[in-house]
Amino acid sequence: MAHLSIPSWCWPAALVLLTWGVVGLLQKLSTNYISAESALIWLVVGYIFLLPWLYSGRSVFTYSTRSLAFTLISAVLNTLGAWALLTAMKSGGKASIVVPLTALYPLVVVVCSPAILHESISPLQGVGILCALTSVVLLST
Amino acid sequence: MSLQATLRKKWFWYSFLCVVCWGCWAILEKMASTEIPEQTVQFLFTFGALPVAVVLLTARGFKLEKNAKGILCGLGNGVLAGVGNAALAGAYRSGGNTSVITAATAMYPMITVLLAVTILRERLTNLHKLGLVFAAAAFILFSLQ
Repeated sequence: MAHLSIPSWCWPAALVLLTWGVVGLLQKLSTNYISAESALIWLVVGYIFLLPWLYSGRSVFTYSTRSLAFTLISAVLNTLGAWALLTAMKSGGKASIVVPLTALYPLVVVVCSPAILHESISPLQGVGILCALTSVVLLST
Repeated sequence: MSLQATLRKKWFWYSFLCVVCWGCWAILEKMASTEIPEQTVQFLFTFGALPVAVVLLTARGFKLEKNAKGILCGLGNGVLAGVGNAALAGAYRSGGNTSVITAATAMYPMITVLLAVTILRERLTNLHKLGLVFAAAAFILFSLQ
């Protein structure tokens, strides 16, 4: 029988929800004063502010080239995705359509993870993901 | 608007590009975080994001608006988004299912909506209320083992 328990990933995930939730609000506020592209540039400057706290003292070259490449490419793709979102809105896409549409990015993970990460999802998790995606679309509308 | 007309629109393809980029970002971050600790993932992430910012800055002729409030919000965004991204790498590193973690963390608009209601005094629409119900259902389902 299924029982409720808090998985270990829940606490870092809660921090993601909280910080990115505030980011959503700040994004809204920042674009009241500056262009979306400028906001994206300042966002990257904000990343730089974190560097002293993030530096572990260990040389990054002790990690495999594969992992280093994955991290750097993931960052390029994340920022490129943010730029594509802004460009979609600048190209005439309504925010009420573009934002919920782009919020469906977890679908790519759901589709690709069995082949790439060799992970499968249980029926219960599948329904949960469906609820989460529906929630994201409704909340972004 | 018909599907054919939508498929001819530039905004649709930019949105599609965004979905693909963010989907691939999540998968690659998961793959990297199995070896690299979360703080180092975000440390390196900054250097990956930098070239895109430089391209944007160059395209704007190195001109940025000088509105203090806008800059402050932008910088705050960067700091919080960075902390969030490190936490996401931490969640991936914990060994949970990648699809579940990605879908759960993508529900951050829930917090944005709640903050907009409490801070900006925006009104909660019926769609938002329904979205919160689905979010609660998702969290309960993710907690069932």
